[in-house]
Amino acid sequence: MKSDVVSPEGFRCDGRRPNELRRFNCDMGTASGGYAGSGADGAAYVEQGNTRCLVLVFGPKEPSMRSAVLHDRATLSVEFNIASFSSGERKTKLRKDKRLLEMASIIKSTFESVILMSSFPRSEITIQIQILQFDGGSLHTAVNATTLALMNAGIPMEDYVVACSAGFGNGHPILDVNYTEEGMDVPVISLGITPRSGKVILLNLESRLHLDEFEKVVTLARDGCTQMHEILDTAVRSSAEALAR
Amino acid sequence: MAIVTPGERLGLNGEFIASHGTVEIGDHIYAAVVGTVTTTPSESDGERLIIQVVPKSKRNMAASIPEVSSIVTGKVLRVNPRMATLSIMVVGETPCADNFQGVIRVQDVRATERDKVQIYNSFRPGDIVRAEVISLGDSRSYYLSTAKNELGVILATSPAGATMIPISWEEMVCPKTKVVENRKCAKPVDA
Repeated sequence: MKSDVVSPEGFRCDGRRPNELRRFNCDMGTASGGYAGSGADGAAYVEQGNTRCLVLVFGPKEPSMRSAVLHDRATLSVEFNIASFSSGERKTKLRKDKRLLEMASIIKSTFESVILMSSFPRSEITIQIQILQFDGGSLHTAVNATTLALMNAGIPMEDYVVACSAGFGNGHPILDVNYTEEGMDVPVISLGITPRSGKVILLNLESRLHLDEFEKVVTLARDGCTQMHEILDTAVRSSAEALAR
Repeated sequence: MAIVTPGERLGLNGEFIASHGTVEIGDHIYAAVVGTVTTTPSESDGERLIIQVVPKSKRNMAASIPEVSSIVTGKVLRVNPRMATLSIMVVGETPCADNFQGVIRVQDVRATERDKVQIYNSFRPGDIVRAEVISLGDSRSYYLSTAKNELGVILATSPAGATMIPISWEEMVCPKTKVVENRKCAKPVDA
């Protein structure tokens, strides 16, 4: 029996309405406390629903590889990792997983356009992303967490990067798709924007979506990004005020 | 004091001069880091104020990285006839987070009689040297210079293990064995 993505009553499998985000929780600046052993310059922990993500930022520092040095700007390196205990089935990690490398390269190209790389010539910024619990939407959770971690590290950026996903299931565009819904053959768009300028800097779709529905889904994802920006901005301000006290 | 976050518009290009923690896009100046805004009058431009965002974190990133013309203190790692290699430990007054590598080439040791300089008669491994950054150098190291009176060796240990005492700008003596060694000594500066 195949159940609907959105029930006739207008609810999704986890009880949300189609245009609702999942519960969001975050923790910034724990670099000085909880993750002290790592020696990171910035850290952020983000929960979106049951997806949990920890991001550590190192740098700007002397590049570890001499060949990677650029004389006029910094280089960004991103490591993306999904813990083997993060999903229902325990997976033995493949050493060179192409999917993880692709995620890392998407995040790298997204943030390269927003971080003011030219203020740190000949240095390196490393971002380590760890998905601790996997419940769908790992890309946009990682992007949001990376934004917070970079701000915590004090790395100058033009703007926030906020990301959100949206899918399309039985006639309804749905916001912030979870793992169960991803498994129901729902096409999912991951959208990342810089909220104050409104520019789209990340758009990712891995399956097919009819062109007629595309705009509706993107508009919903954009809406989600705007909501996410308010949430992140509140979190950043309250953490900065806590530090100032 | 109000906190600004990246992307927040601070003002027009014509009103302010963008400094640390801000970014100019088009006609506007935006915040680039989380922090508080401070404005200071500019010396060169009387009409515009310098605007910067002071970050809300404890560490000061910009200060601990060597720049051209900053004074650094480092330890000599190795010498060869062409250059002395240093590990830079302090930039200005702040200890750096990373260890940067710098080299003093033979022509940058002193200002006069450059062709007569011999590296081994100027620096020995283990010496603590104060030097000025003359360029960011190659990808491997900063280029440093000691061609000023107040730059050069500030601390050296003799083979006998005693701290050597400078007796001229070119010589140091070991208080234990009275052996005189050649160094490019730094002139003491009044604190």
